[in-house]
Amino acid sequence: MAIAEELAALRESTLAAIEAAADSTALDGVRVAVLGKSGSLTGYLRSMGSVPPEERASVGKAVNEARVEVEEALAARKAVLDAAELSAAIDAAAVDVTLPGRAQQMGTRHLINGIIDEISDIFLGLGYKVVEGTEVETDYYNFTALNAPADHPSRSMQDTFYVRDLSGDAARVRGESDVLLRTQTSGVQVHTMEDWDLPIYMVAPGKVYRRDVADPSHLPQFHQIEGLVVDRGITFGDLKGTLDYLCKQIFGPERKTRFRAHYFPFTEPSAEADVSCGICHGEGCRMCKGTGWIEILGCGMVDPNVLSMSGIDPEEYSGFAFGMGVERIACLKYDVPDLRMLLEGDMRFLRQF
Amino acid sequence: MKVSLKWLSEYTQVPSDLKAFCDRLDLTGTGVEGIETLGEAFEGVVVGSVLTCEPHPDSDHMSVVTVDVGAGEPVQIVCGAPNIAAGIKVPVACVGAVLPGDFKIKKSKLRGVVSCGMCCSQRELGLGSDHSGIWILPEETPVGTAMAEVIGSGDTVLDLEITPNRPDCLSVVGMAREVGAMYQQPVTYPLADDVAKLAAVTAGEDVAAAVTVEVPDSERCCRYTARVIDNVKVGPSPDWLAERVSAAGGRPINNVVDVTNYILYLYGQPLHAFDFDTLCDGDGRVRIIVRGAAEGEHLTTLDGEERVLTEDMTVIATPDRAVALAGVMGGLDTEVTEATTTVLLESADFCNGRTSRTSRNLGLISESSMRYERGVDENLTELVSQAAAALLAEVSGGTVRPGVVDVYGRPAEARPLTFRIDRFNAMMGAAIPADFIRDILVRLGCAVEATDEAAVLSVLAPTFRPDLEREIDLYEEVLRLWGMDRIEPTLPGGRERVGARTPEQETLRLVNAVLRASGLNETMTYSFAEPGDIERLRLPADGLGLAVELLNPLNADQSVMRQSIVPNLLRSVAYNQARGVKNIQLYEIGTVFSAAEGRKKAKERKKLAAVMAGSMGDAAWNAPAVPFDFFDGKGVLENLARELALPKVRFRALTADEAPQLQPGRAAEMMANGAVIGWVGEVHPLVCDAFDAAAPVVAFELDVAALVKAARPARDYVAVPTFPAVVMDQAFVVGEDVTHEKLMQVMASAGGKLLESVALFDVYRDEERVGAGKKSMAYTLTYRAADRTLTGEEVERAHGKLVAKVEKACGAEVRG
Repeated sequence: MAIAEELAALRESTLAAIEAAADSTALDGVRVAVLGKSGSLTGYLRSMGSVPPEERASVGKAVNEARVEVEEALAARKAVLDAAELSAAIDAAAVDVTLPGRAQQMGTRHLINGIIDEISDIFLGLGYKVVEGTEVETDYYNFTALNAPADHPSRSMQDTFYVRDLSGDAARVRGESDVLLRTQTSGVQVHTMEDWDLPIYMVAPGKVYRRDVADPSHLPQFHQIEGLVVDRGITFGDLKGTLDYLCKQIFGPERKTRFRAHYFPFTEPSAEADVSCGICHGEGCRMCKGTGWIEILGCGMVDPNVLSMSGIDPEEYSGFAFGMGVERIACLKYDVPDLRMLLEGDMRFLRQF
Repeated sequence: MKVSLKWLSEYTQVPSDLKAFCDRLDLTGTGVEGIETLGEAFEGVVVGSVLTCEPHPDSDHMSVVTVDVGAGEPVQIVCGAPNIAAGIKVPVACVGAVLPGDFKIKKSKLRGVVSCGMCCSQRELGLGSDHSGIWILPEETPVGTAMAEVIGSGDTVLDLEITPNRPDCLSVVGMAREVGAMYQQPVTYPLADDVAKLAAVTAGEDVAAAVTVEVPDSERCCRYTARVIDNVKVGPSPDWLAERVSAAGGRPINNVVDVTNYILYLYGQPLHAFDFDTLCDGDGRVRIIVRGAAEGEHLTTLDGEERVLTEDMTVIATPDRAVALAGVMGGLDTEVTEATTTVLLESADFCNGRTSRTSRNLGLISESSMRYERGVDENLTELVSQAAAALLAEVSGGTVRPGVVDVYGRPAEARPLTFRIDRFNAMMGAAIPADFIRDILVRLGCAVEATDEAAVLSVLAPTFRPDLEREIDLYEEVLRLWGMDRIEPTLPGGRERVGARTPEQETLRLVNAVLRASGLNETMTYSFAEPGDIERLRLPADGLGLAVELLNPLNADQSVMRQSIVPNLLRSVAYNQARGVKNIQLYEIGTVFSAAEGRKKAKERKKLAAVMAGSMGDAAWNAPAVPFDFFDGKGVLENLARELALPKVRFRALTADEAPQLQPGRAAEMMANGAVIGWVGEVHPLVCDAFDAAAPVVAFELDVAALVKAARPARDYVAVPTFPAVVMDQAFVVGEDVTHEKLMQVMASAGGKLLESVALFDVYRDEERVGAGKKSMAYTLTYRAADRTLTGEEVERAHGKLVAKVEKACGAEVRG
């Protein structure tokens, strides 16, 4: 058989084999068998020396054409097989994406501290500083300096936890002591007025204690946030505007506030602030006991006596103060049914927030 | 305080829109806590005549009655009242009626017998507390009449919250004045008319002939007046009087007591009526002494309780015994009874503070004590006594002896104040007109006069307003009646202020974030502790000070303040475990307390404590549950150390003596720059037992101040490497006593500048291959130079030197 015919046959059979290769391994086998070192087509190139010189040009051309054709066929087939194999591998690697992911557990902030953070941030934005006071306080800072009369009922053993005084001083009232667990964060007001330069813009979140037996709506230990502003020209309108802004930030811009005259020993005039009920929007429902309003905090203009006792001239400076219960806000925002849950450390409760 | 609007409307106009009225009361400082409408609830309740009354066939206490209700056929009703009988007239709630408490009357069957309505007691109709039986109406009451007609037109009673600064509002007259000011409308004051009636009933010898009063200490009692009423016939009060007393929330008792209560409700002046004869000595004279009680003195009060008194309480006494607890309650053996014919009427003013403490210490809060502790106007004490005596004589058929015994130590005077209108408006952020200011102050009872300055008023505050002591108190009055809602809200425009956290607050924010990122959940526990918690935790007591002790704890297991947060966290572990929650990761940042002999205020320190039990999560399809051990606690602290850039952090093993609270061998102290930050470890199994927590529990407790002090706000930049590193793995076999820390120190010093980092990747123990009492520690060592590519020889030389040093210093053998 003439070389040309042999080449043609080899070309045909190789192209057929390439087409038939089922995977890249088989394809590579074909490549090696034809184009490898001892491949059949390579053999023709090697044996060109034995080809008569007058045929060399034509045979050489034919061999090269066959080689180019085979290489192209190999490349084309490889692309097809690669695509198919990648596709198969991708198919095989598919997962059920609804299976749980590989997440690192994130811890949680306690609900009460979360609210304290939120409110502190609001006041930081208004240019206030955040202060903390001590939880054991003297009678002076908790009551006297806040204008509480000496016989105020809140001073009684029924309402205040008294602490054994190891200084040797005798208590003014039998069974009581000059030292107590603070019943309000308001004492921080006095420390701030004594210690800081004016003007004062501060909030003081913290733990307070009252002698209430723990039940779904009472705890002997809870949290308040106190606020105090002392500056020149502070008005009752400033008090209203500040607390209105606060309530809208906490509860939403659609909520309204109202101020009811009230009485506190350390502010004058005093008020309680209500926020419109978020359930009935003021129509009256069970949540707001039919009034359309929910009491949220106590506030007022700082009593001039309190300013004077701290060495601030009430003729030159005025200010406002407010205090709110953090647990109360937690209950309003999250409907916590039993305050004791806040102190139990139940993982199933804590992990919700 | 309960206020009948019917009664109130005798003195000033009450708005017809009840809702608007209550809102206005709320906004001006008188909280409306309840609204009770009498009369309105009586639709469908009529007068019925009981025709027949038979015992219920299937009950030993119920009866089946037929009642004529004046329309149609008589109705059959099952009734459980003991006083039901044929022939009486009773209120009948017919089917469809709605009684107070939203109680709907429906046709029903009671033990098989049909009942078409209900015979009512007074209480069921919301008219009082009498629930002893059904209400038997007078025989002449016409059958079929609506009960609303029988009782009279409806009345509304408001339950008002009077703030402690407003004793004047604890009276109907005071509320009338308040409402008059709220609406700027006229008020009629009844006292002058009531007093004028006295002359007509005065008879006999001057009271001073038979009565003397001694008040040795006017601080205890600033005014005491006594009058005597003779020829009294004690009996039921006239209807109008009983109705008033009931509407104010009282219980009608007899005409004498009802008059004292009526006057109390009307004018706010507490009164007490004694049976004169029980106070007399042998010759018909009464000597009253208002004195301090003797320590341990006994007195049986009107409620039948025998009280043991202390010396700071004040009593009304005769020379031989105490007869009343001043300002709180009368004595039982001098009370007015049906046999009383002569009454000694006390109208007095007792010290606020003492009355308050006495009533609270005895758990005896009365209408009187509540008013005395807030302040009674001593200027009115005697005038009100005149009105009361006149009324008492009128309703009991008696006569009043002329004159009064009046011991009045130091008469109260009206306080002169100024009102600077411009300053007021500046402070309120408002422009409230002078006319309004003047009008409100006058309506509240102040005398107001102009001064030389146009914008300054001279104000005389009345003695019934002890809260109006200063100019600012007047501001409050005008503002609340002008309406706080009319003040424009603004934000303070002050300069020189910036919002900023303190460095400690910033650090704690970061600490909280790191702990959360480490998977811990913040909790809060009680600051109270059980005595002995520190011993139970086996925490060394040095440095903890004395426990801060509460004088009046709620219970014994919360009677001191905590010295460590860990005991309550261990209780939280037990709480969760008892409820089937196994995986627990809790932390708390809070205060611990320590007292010291001779020091007044306790020292407070902030601590950060955590407990970890179980594992971070349950076994998942793609991750096993890895139980917590020492290294999970330490890992959290390493996260903190990294994020706070703590310098020179070390974990030093703690011995069993140093940390008895921890399991020996799994206990360490965290240090930064040589300062102790806190401890970490696995809680000793016996300590876990003591708190009912299942071991193992990993815990740590750090001192927040030490942590904050060590934290660095900024870090140093280290150049990112540009030349390649050579990484070598090297295992050393060392004795068990050679610590990782020791190996690291030797490698660091031997490796010199070229050794960039060392990381432990394996710890291997095998008696055969490694040897008993030995371990193989495998490290990845990274060599790099900052300024060139290291050659093979350089690294070989450095590494060879390092290995040799480790062998020598740690007795290590190289493992191939």
